[in-house]
Amino acid sequence: MKTQTRSQILKIIEKSGKIRPLELRKTLNISSQAVHRHLRSLIQQGIIEIKGSAPLVHYTLAGVPDLGAVSKWMNARTAPKGPDSLVCETREVFTGRLPHLKSYLRKGLQENLLPLVISTAGEIGNNSFDHNLGQWRDVPGCWFESQATGRHLWICIADRGQGIFQSLVKVHPELADEQAALHAAFETIISGRAPEQRGNGLKFVKKSLSMTPGGGVACISGTGRVFYGEQGEKCVALLDKNFINVQGTVTLMVWELQ
Amino acid sequence: MKVELKKFGEILTSRPSGREAGLTIKAYFKPKPGDRIELDFTGVLAMGPSWLDEVLTALRSEYGKERVICLPSENASVSESLGIIEQQPGQQS
Repeated sequence: MKTQTRSQILKIIEKSGKIRPLELRKTLNISSQAVHRHLRSLIQQGIIEIKGSAPLVHYTLAGVPDLGAVSKWMNARTAPKGPDSLVCETREVFTGRLPHLKSYLRKGLQENLLPLVISTAGEIGNNSFDHNLGQWRDVPGCWFESQATGRHLWICIADRGQGIFQSLVKVHPELADEQAALHAAFETIISGRAPEQRGNGLKFVKKSLSMTPGGGVACISGTGRVFYGEQGEKCVALLDKNFINVQGTVTLMVWELQ
Repeated sequence: MKVELKKFGEILTSRPSGREAGLTIKAYFKPKPGDRIELDFTGVLAMGPSWLDEVLTALRSEYGKERVICLPSENASVSESLGIIEQQPGQQS
C-alpha cells in the first residue's frame, strides 16, 4: 500500500514538475500526516527534494531542474512578462548577474570549474544580445536562471529572438534548415555577423562542457537541437519535455557539484 | 610591456567590452619599437573567447602577432579561450 502511494506521488510530481503537500492531500485523499510521511521517505531515499520555504514549500524530483517558469515564458504566444530577477533586458543586466554564479562554490562547485561555468554562461548569454539586437520578436533580452539540484548546477539561458537559423542564413544561404544551422553554429567557425570575424563562442561552450566529467549542454532553436557532453542527452530530454515549438533559442548547461 | 587584464575586470566575456579594452590598450599602452605587449591574466576570474578575440584582433593588427604575447595562465577559461582562438582563421600563430 505504502509503495503504491509513493509511486502515485512520484507520478504526480513527474507530471507536474513540482507539487505542494496540500495538493497531494486533496488528490490522494489521505491525511496530512500520511502525505508528509511519504514525502520524508522519498527524500531520505534521494528520490525527491524539498524546495522553497514555508508556507510555499514544494517537492520536486531530485536532480531535475525546475524549468516551469522559463518554459512558460518561452512558450507564450504573445509578449510575456517575466520576473525582473530572471529576465535580463539588456546585456549590462546580464553581465552584472554573472558574478552571482560564484555563490555555487558554497554549494559544492569545484573552484577550478568556476571560470568555465561563468565564461560559458557569458558566451551563451552574450550571444543572445549579439545576434538579436533590433531583431527581438517581442520581449528584448534573455532569461538567465541557475539552480542546484541533485548535486548538479543547472544553468538555463533562453531568448525570444530570431533563432540561430535566421541569424545565420542571411550570410550563409547554403544552410538547409534549423538543424543544419544549429549544428554549424556549435561545430564550425561561423557567424551571422559577417564581415566581422566571429563565431568561436559556441565551440568554446561545447568543448568546455564536453571535456568536463559530469558536464553537459543542449540547445534548441526552432526545430534544430544539439547536445554534447556526458549529461547532454539528459539536458536535451529536459528541453524536449518542457519546450514546444521554440522560436528563439534555449540552452541548458549542467555542471557537477561535489 | 605588461598589461594586467584584471584591471579591465575579473569577468571578461562580451565582445563590446573586449573591443573597448582593445582600443584602450592601443591608446594608453604604447610599447617602444621592438618591445612586446604581454597580456597578464593573473587575477582574472573568467574569460571568454569573444572578449579575448576582440583584444587580440585589435592588438595584433596594430603590432603584429609576434609582438603580442599571452602569458601562461592556469585558469581553464583562459587556456581554453586561447586554444579556440588560435584555431580560427586569421588568428593562428
